[in-house]
Amino acid sequence: MEKRTSYGRTILAYVVLIILAFLCLFFFYILIINATRNHAQIQQGFSFLPGKSFWVNLHNVMNDANIPVMSGIKNSLIVSGAAAILATYFSSLTAYGLYAYDFKLKRPAFIFIMLILVMPTQVSALGFVRLVTGMGMINTLWPLFLPSIAAPAVFYFMYSYMQSTLPLDLVEAARIDGSSEFRTFNRIVLPIMKPAIAVQAIFTFVTTWNNFFVPALIISDNSKKTMPILIAALRSADFMKFDMGKVYMIILIAILPIIIVYLILSRYIIAGVTLGGVKE
Amino acid sequence: MAGITFKNVVKTYDNGVTVIPDLNMEIKDKEFVVLVGPSGCGKSTTLRMIAGLEGISSGDLYIGDTRMNAVAPKDRDIAMVFQNYALYPHMTVYKNMAFALTLKKVPKDEIDRKVHEAAEILGLEEYLDRKPKALSGGQRQRVALGRAMVRNPSVFLLDEPLSNLDAKLRTEMRSQISKLHKQLETTFVYVTHDQTEAMTMGDRICVMKDGIIQQFDTPQKLYNEPCNLFVAGFIGSPQMNFADAVVEKTDQGYELVFGETRVPTQREELAPYVGRTVVLGIRPEHLRAGEEYIRGGNTLTAEVDLSEMMGSETYLYLNYAGSRFIAKLPGTVIAPAGSKVTLALDVDRIHVFDKETEKSILN
Ligand SMILES: Nc1ncnc2c1ncn2[C@@H]1O[C@H](COP(=O)(O)OP(=O)(O)OP(=O)(O)O)[C@@H](O)[C@H]1O
Ligand SMILES: [Mg+2]
Repeated sequence: MEKRTSYGRTILAYVVLIILAFLCLFFFYILIINATRNHAQIQQGFSFLPGKSFWVNLHNVMNDANIPVMSGIKNSLIVSGAAAILATYFSSLTAYGLYAYDFKLKRPAFIFIMLILVMPTQVSALGFVRLVTGMGMINTLWPLFLPSIAAPAVFYFMYSYMQSTLPLDLVEAARIDGSSEFRTFNRIVLPIMKPAIAVQAIFTFVTTWNNFFVPALIISDNSKKTMPILIAALRSADFMKFDMGKVYMIILIAILPIIIVYLILSRYIIAGVTLGGVKE
Repeated sequence: MAGITFKNVVKTYDNGVTVIPDLNMEIKDKEFVVLVGPSGCGKSTTLRMIAGLEGISSGDLYIGDTRMNAVAPKDRDIAMVFQNYALYPHMTVYKNMAFALTLKKVPKDEIDRKVHEAAEILGLEEYLDRKPKALSGGQRQRVALGRAMVRNPSVFLLDEPLSNLDAKLRTEMRSQISKLHKQLETTFVYVTHDQTEAMTMGDRICVMKDGIIQQFDTPQKLYNEPCNLFVAGFIGSPQMNFADAVVEKTDQGYELVFGETRVPTQREELAPYVGRTVVLGIRPEHLRAGEEYIRGGNTLTAEVDLSEMMGSETYLYLNYAGSRFIAKLPGTVIAPAGSKVTLALDVDRIHVFDKETEKSILN
C-alpha cells in the first residue's frame, strides 16, 4: 500500500513536470520554427515543420541598417556582462563587510539596504535620468551597468549564503596566516562564494539583458541600443515592410547568449538551488 | 624567547559584559600550558587575546618582551589551531599549509621543503593533493596542526582542537600533540574543558572560573593540593566526593565527624575550626576497601547504589550521610548493587575546605 502511494505520486509528479516542460519549451519551439519561415507562411498559422527561409531571414536581419543587430548584441553583452560582474563582486563585498565586521552602524546599514530592496525602479527613474544627464552620461552605456554595483537583492542573497557557509574562523585563520583583509576576501571568501556568485551572475545577466525600461530612457543612438530596444523598434517599423520572419529571427538571436551563459553556469545553479540545505 | 605575560588584563565585550576582570598570568617560554574551566569561563577569550583576534580593554599583554596590545595577529609570531579546524575548503592540503608562507613571499622550494617536512611528521604526505572535504576528522585536525607548524611560530595556540574527534582518536592526537611540543620546542597554550586532556598534556594547568584564575600549577599539585573547592571538584575523574563534616577536638588531635564516620587527623590547621562545619573532600580512589586503612572511625558503611565493573577497576556509587559518594576500587572488588560495603577514608589523602571561603584549609 505504502509503495503504491509513492508510485502514484511519482507518476503524478512526472505528468506535471512534463506538462510544465512542454509549456516552457513549446514557445522555444515556435520561435525556432518561425525563424525558419517567411512572413507569408507565418501569417497562415502555426506549423510543426520548419520552413526554408532561415538564411533569408538571417540575411534580412543582418542587412537591415535600421536594426544594427550585431552592435545590439555587443552592447547587450557589454552591459549585461559588466552588470553581472559588478553586482556579484560588490554585493559580496558589501555582504562580507556586514557579515564579518562589527561596527556601530551595522544594523542601520543593513536596514537601509533592505529598504532600497523594496523600492521599485520606476519611482527613481526620473531622478536617475536627470542625474545621468547631469553627469554627462546620457546616451552612453555606463548608466546601464554602473548602478549594478548597488544591488540589494544580490547583497541579501550573498549575506544569507555567507551565514550558512562561511565560518568566521576561516577569516580569523587567514588573518593569523598574515593575509590582508582585502586579500582574505579575494582569495578565501570569493572562492567559497562561487556557487552563490554563479547563481546571481546568471540572474543579473538575464535581468539586465531583458531590461527595456532603463535603456529606453537613456539610449537614443541606434549604435548604442541594446537588444530589447531594437526588438521593440521592430514593432514600430514601417507597417508595409513588416516581416514576421525577421522578427522571430531577431528574437532567436537575442536569446542565444542567455542560453549559452546559462549552459556554462548551470551546474552552479543546481548547486545554488540546494543551497543552505546541505551543510557539512 | 617567547613567554607570554598578562598584566592586569581586562576584557569587556562591546555589549558591556566584563568576561575577564583582572588577569595576571605568566607563561614561560617553551612551556605547555593548558587553560581549563567550565564553558563560558573565558578560556577562548584569553586565547584570542593572545592571538590578537580580540582586543584588550585594559592592561598589558607581552609576548617575549614586546607589548602586543596593538600588534596585528600576523605580526605576533603565533599560530592558532581552531576547534573546527578552519581549513580553507577550496584549497588542497598542500595549499592550506603553504598559504601563510606564500603570503610571506617565501621562496617556492623552501615552502615545498617545509610543507613536506610537516606532512612527514604528521603522516599527511599522501593527502597533500586532497581537499579538506575528502579527509577524516583526525586528518583535518592534523592539517590544521601542519598549517600552524610550517610557520615555525614562537607560540602555538590551540582552542579545543580535539573536541570534534571520537574518544580513540582523541587519545591518539593527544600524544601526538605532546610529542609535537617536545619536537618543536615552542610555547603551547592549549584550551580545553576536558580535565583528562589537561592533566595528561600540560606542564602547568591554569584552572579558570568566571574569568578568574583559580589555580595555576603543575598537574600533580592540582591533584594533590587543590587550593579550593572548585579546583578540587574540577580536577580528577570521577569527581572528588564532598561531605559536610564537623570538626571536634580529641585527645590525639581532631576528628572530622559526619554520619557515623569520625576521621582522625593531627593537622593543627583545624584548630580554629573546632565546633564548626567544614567541607571534607575525598577522592574516589582514596576510599579504600583494605582493612589496613582503618584508623579508628574513618570508615563508612553503606548500601551500594550502583556498581560499575570496568575490568581493571570497579566504581561503587553510594549514598551516605546525605551525600553521594563514588568509590574507585581495584577490579578485584566485587560488590553488586544492594550489598553493604565498608570503606575506609585514606586519612593521609583527605582535603578540608572552609565552608564560607571554599578555600583549602590543609595546604
Ligand atoms: N563576541 C562576544 N560578545 C559578547 N560576549 C561574548 C563574546 N564572545 C564571548 N562572549 C562571552 O564571554 C564569555 C566567555 O566566553 P569564552 O568563549 O571565552 O568562553 P570559553 O571559556 O571558551 O567557553 P567554552 O568552553 O564554551 O568554549 C561567555 O559568557 C560568552 O558569552
Ligand atoms: Mg571556547
